Amino acid sequence: MRRYETIYILRPTMSEDEVTAVIENTNAILSTDGGQVISIDKWGLRTLAYLINKESQGYYVFCDYATNPANVEEMERKFRIDEAVMKYMTVKVADSITDEGVEAARGEYQAAIVAAEEAEKDAEKQEEKKPDASATVTETVKEEVKEEKEEVKETQE
Amino acid sequence: MPPKKRIFQRKRVCRFCTDKEMSIDYKDPKTLRNFITERGKIIPRRIYGTCASHQRQLCSAIKRARQIALLPYSGATQR
Repeated sequence: MRRYETIYILRPTMSEDEVTAVIENTNAILSTDGGQVISIDKWGLRTLAYLINKESQGYYVFCDYATNPANVEEMERKFRIDEAVMKYMTVKVADSITDEGVEAARGEYQAAIVAAEEAEKDAEKQEEKKPDASATVTETVKEEVKEEKEEVKETQE
Repeated sequence: MPPKKRIFQRKRVCRFCTDKEMSIDYKDPKTLRNFITERGKIIPRRIYGTCASHQRQLCSAIKRARQIALLPYSGATQR
């Protein structure tokens, strides 16, 4: 079995029930022949970076799982037929994964959820720090550009 | 041979090598946005001084993010 992760984008007009139906169908395909779903994460409605099927928003679903390559092919075939799925992308994370590996991965997700709850408390502090870091980077870039321009001038002379 | 020009250059270090906690992940467009221009192009590594291996990882992460519409292929970025 291999470990994959897939992101698929559903139409923004769908109701919550339709979304869960699609997710359950895909999970059923993935769990045939001993496949295991490690985690499902609904990112919810997000603004797309570019239009897909004339839609500017999409409902993102992230799925982490361990399964056989044949199941992935079947899932993608269904996605291509299904009107509800606008776009999907599958990435292979590991060539092989054992049952213990699956359990460990599940534990990691549980730990991540706990950590996220703790991080929410400290979120205000971090938000203050982040803008500073990006500001310094842009400054250095500007300086770099200036230096490069000067260099060009000198060579022209 | 022309005389060697004295060019002032700041020593740049790879941001991912100095900060081990920073990870490159295609699912995290906020971090990746620092490494693309407003137009959506990948910024060359001579600008930030990212090391070769991290730049390669960045590059593939940005391309993946583009595929799944987390980052734009081109054009002004929408927020």
